[in-house]
Amino acid sequence: MSNDNKKPDVEEEKSAAFNFVRRDFLKLISFAGLSSLLPGRASAKDDFRNDKNIPKQYIQNRDTPGFHIRSANPFMGVDMGSWGLAVGGMVKKPIGLGYEDLFGFKMVSQVSRLKCVECWSAKAEWEGFEFSELIKKVQPDPAAKYVYIQSADSYYESFAVEELLRPRVLFVLRMNGKSLSKDHGYPLRLIAPFKYGYKNIKYITSIKFLDTRKRNYWSNSGPYSVDGTIQPGIDHPLDFNKKPLPINGGEVFHFFDR
Amino acid sequence: MKPFILFILSFFLFACDSREVVQIKVDIPAGVQVPEEMVYIPAGDFIMGHEEEPRTQLGKTISSKAYLIDRFEVSRERYKNFQPQYTFSPKSALYPVTHVSYAEALDYCKAHDKRLPTEVEWEKAARGTDGRKWPWRIFVAHPNNGFSGFMSEPVDKRKEWISPYGVYGMGHNVWEWIGEDYTYAEQPDSESGKFKVIRGGLLQTHITIKFSPAWFRNWMEPETKLNFIGIRCAKDVS
Repeated sequence: MSNDNKKPDVEEEKSAAFNFVRRDFLKLISFAGLSSLLPGRASAKDDFRNDKNIPKQYIQNRDTPGFHIRSANPFMGVDMGSWGLAVGGMVKKPIGLGYEDLFGFKMVSQVSRLKCVECWSAKAEWEGFEFSELIKKVQPDPAAKYVYIQSADSYYESFAVEELLRPRVLFVLRMNGKSLSKDHGYPLRLIAPFKYGYKNIKYITSIKFLDTRKRNYWSNSGPYSVDGTIQPGIDHPLDFNKKPLPINGGEVFHFFDR
Repeated sequence: MKPFILFILSFFLFACDSREVVQIKVDIPAGVQVPEEMVYIPAGDFIMGHEEEPRTQLGKTISSKAYLIDRFEVSRERYKNFQPQYTFSPKSALYPVTHVSYAEALDYCKAHDKRLPTEVEWEKAARGTDGRKWPWRIFVAHPNNGFSGFMSEPVDKRKEWISPYGVYGMGHNVWEWIGEDYTYAEQPDSESGKFKVIRGGLLQTHITIKFSPAWFRNWMEPETKLNFIGIRCAKDVS
């Protein structure tokens, strides 16, 4: 399981003392960025958009019942004609993988909850492959203790390699028995259930092995940690009518999950 | 007259602003050896749990024997003395060791002729004898409020947050493994033996950080290693 390597000092840095919550920030930037593309106000009655000004065909923040959607940079989704997964950096054998290649890895299935730092959580069945499958292929340098993951919507995340090798961390291709939907990160996303939702990067395009840790999108954009481990506190599960339940920290399991 | 009034006013100002936690006077019996890094907690009664918290002792008076408990959470430099392959940045030497499982915590304590504390021992050391909610008695807001995420601090920081027995880090900094299973009335069989108790860390909801009350019991699977769980040891009085 995990080793005792030190956590990077960047986790102990404090980001700028922003005094607004994440949801307000998302609304602000999405409105400012995309209101000019507005073709005309479409009805938002049934599509649960948080910001009615963003055209509904964009992947964006939606409070969809059962499983909310969060997307920091609204965009039209991945163009599969040009998508590939690049795995490189400090490795012996950098590779580029197509979508079909990913299904050649050993598939693992699990039910786990995604807990958003904003307080809600939702559960799904996820199917994907473990990080060790990629490590076997690319053979990272032993000094490469970290990875930097980028996505198609300019989002980015940062992990220690050790974290991605923990049990129940999957690179996911399918959700609830079907291919990932656009909203949930098609074609490839990460599920790391012991980390807040913002660490569970979607629409992954590249994974780079490094010997130093980079910061992530939300630590550069707001008062959020690079580490993102779910802390003891409170959860508001969507499948419990958002009623508050205590959580002990790490992966979230409620009494009705076990 | 004015200077005199100002003097009197400033006296009260500084007195009220005192961050020192009043310490319980403890007489250590002759012949009892207290290691330098530990605190002697005398035998006697204390109030445990809270009546509004069903999974606690509900505010009952509980009696304890005398015992010893680490004054500080185990630091990274101390842990490295035990586990040489453990690495950390030199400037974080006094920060609490984290990412240790229950078994690793127990091994560390045993290697130092100690053990993990019981819940009675931990809570009495944190809370003293007057049933206070916060070890340091008077509520303050956590200075990191407004930030989402756990940032540990040196184990000897925050003298203003020590317990009435002079123990640091109770109710803030890392949670600490307790040497007991997490049990409660009407616990389902499926949970029996599954979790150990952890005590004394922070609670987080989005960007709000809260201290855990001295009676607060958290639970964790023993093989878990996370950035908010560390070690504190205890020892019988010889």
